[in-house]
Amino acid sequence: METTRAILVDITKCIGCRSCEQACKEVHGFPMETEAKLSVTALTVIEERGDKFVRRMCMHCQDPACASACLVGALKKTAAGPVTYDASKCIGCRYCLVACPFNVPRYEWSKLVPYVKKCDMCAQRQAQGQPPACVEACPTGASIVGNRDEILEEAQRRIVTDSKYVKHIYGSEEAGGTSVFFISDVPFEKLGFVAAPKQPMPVLTANALGDGPTVILLGGALLSGLYWITQRRAEVALAEAQDKERS
Amino acid sequence: MTTTRFPRITLWRIIVAVIFAAGLYATYARFALGFKLATNLTDPQPWGLWVGLGTLCGVGLSAGGFAIAAAVYLLGFERYRPVLRTAVLVSFLGYMSVIVGMMYELGLPWRIWHPIVMWNRHSVLFEVSWCVMLYTTVLALEFSPSLIEKIPWAGFREFYLHWHHKLLIALVLAGTLLSSMHQSFLGALYLITKGKLDPLWYSPYLTTEFYLSAIPAGLAVTIMALYLCVRSLNVRLDLSVLSDVSRVIAPLLALWGLFRAVDLITHDATPYLFMWREETLSFWVEIGLFVLVPVVLLSRDKVRNNPQYLYWTCALVVMGFMANRLNVSITGLQASSGVYYVPKWTEFAATLAVLTAAVMAFRYAVIYLDILPKNPPRQRWMVANTAAEA
Repeated sequence: METTRAILVDITKCIGCRSCEQACKEVHGFPMETEAKLSVTALTVIEERGDKFVRRMCMHCQDPACASACLVGALKKTAAGPVTYDASKCIGCRYCLVACPFNVPRYEWSKLVPYVKKCDMCAQRQAQGQPPACVEACPTGASIVGNRDEILEEAQRRIVTDSKYVKHIYGSEEAGGTSVFFISDVPFEKLGFVAAPKQPMPVLTANALGDGPTVILLGGALLSGLYWITQRRAEVALAEAQDKERS
Repeated sequence: MTTTRFPRITLWRIIVAVIFAAGLYATYARFALGFKLATNLTDPQPWGLWVGLGTLCGVGLSAGGFAIAAAVYLLGFERYRPVLRTAVLVSFLGYMSVIVGMMYELGLPWRIWHPIVMWNRHSVLFEVSWCVMLYTTVLALEFSPSLIEKIPWAGFREFYLHWHHKLLIALVLAGTLLSSMHQSFLGALYLITKGKLDPLWYSPYLTTEFYLSAIPAGLAVTIMALYLCVRSLNVRLDLSVLSDVSRVIAPLLALWGLFRAVDLITHDATPYLFMWREETLSFWVEIGLFVLVPVVLLSRDKVRNNPQYLYWTCALVVMGFMANRLNVSITGLQASSGVYYVPKWTEFAATLAVLTAAVMAFRYAVIYLDILPKNPPRQRWMVANTAAEA
């Protein structure tokens, strides 16, 4: 998995120039107006929190809730890192929106043929050896991209060597680990980051799904057994009635 | 010369007409104008009334069919046999309305078949979709004799009914398992909302809770349907069977309440039980309607043996059940979503229209098929008809 890519966003370095937003809109052909929140035409945005600028985007979980939730497998975690969306499979159930612990996916509510929209870490560009558009556009190096291990090491190095950083890499354990990391000099909860569960989200449903076959086998056996008893009792009752009649 | 008689205008017919007119507009809004204008759904609240009421309640309230079928065929409770067809019919129509509801709910409904060929075994919703498909098929097969026996071709009829009889137990067994899994998996859908769903509803045992609550709710609906049949469709039924069915409901509700209480205490949700906030209020409405009041009422002979009291108590159970499902799917997710979702009127209209269509289908099925034994006809025009036929 050493070729798995990841993005590190260093909030202390972000100056709020919105070059990442603009670059993202450009590669997707979206209208260029600045938007306050993630939307179907803004797959990454800069949110202002006090004097800090916080970039929002898909976290590209290692074991994504959305991909486990999607009933037709339209959402997939690729080996290269990005969580991608295959619009041709999507049926529009929006369970991915319900499942995402970071509330990232957006839905095209105003379209008659609506799809889900979310950042795909420029999977196509990355496959051609280019960095994601947002990272490429960042003038201060607040966003960098690289192999996940190296990116995590770099984040670790920064928070250890510089005392201003909060001693946590957001994304290192959230939802079981992601492929987008944030480091900051202000506590994450003050910047609007959600306290996501620490385990991979699909674990939560895996147990219930794993119980399925057991329930079928045990339940089937139990019900068949009960049916056999019911039948047997009816037979015995019938035989007894016949005996009584004969005597 | 024959004159086509315009149907008599009654209050109920006006109500039905208004519902269908509103439903028609809602359908137009949903498919010609899109979600944005037809619903109040947003990214933080992607599932609303159509999922909460249409799917979660629709499936849950259809649990009577499998419960009664299992009781009669697998457990040998023969005394429930007279109401078997009604229970199966209610479930079948319930599932049909859920499927019709999905057409509104899905963004790309023409792709509803995708899960048949595109599999994701890690998805709860995938399992749910297969349960819907398979169990609806089972329900249709379980119900089919009521239609087939009306077919005039004796050969085909006998052939079908013969084989149906042979395979019935297998059908009932499969139906019981599929339906049980379906009810539980609907709860499992919300397991992944850990951290978003309010502690009063989030539980690793959502599967069990959904299953345990669906059975009494499904039975309550069956009782209500039977009572209405007796009252207004000239059906002949020993009403003591309603009292028999209701005997099971109170213990099941109490069991659910107990399970829920233990679950809440062991998951440290007790502080949330007594907070002054909307979620807690909704929680107590749910518990009051679904557990406290019905358990007290149903433990009284006077209520169980009076069909009218029983009917209204069952209505409380159904409302309590709906409160629970709406709490899980809407109220419990409100705080984390940060938006206050109130369904648009078109969302209500579409759901109501689908439900009304199901009720009408039920009515016609009871009138024209042998779902329940009927009293000899009494109305004068019917007497005249039979005389003319003779």
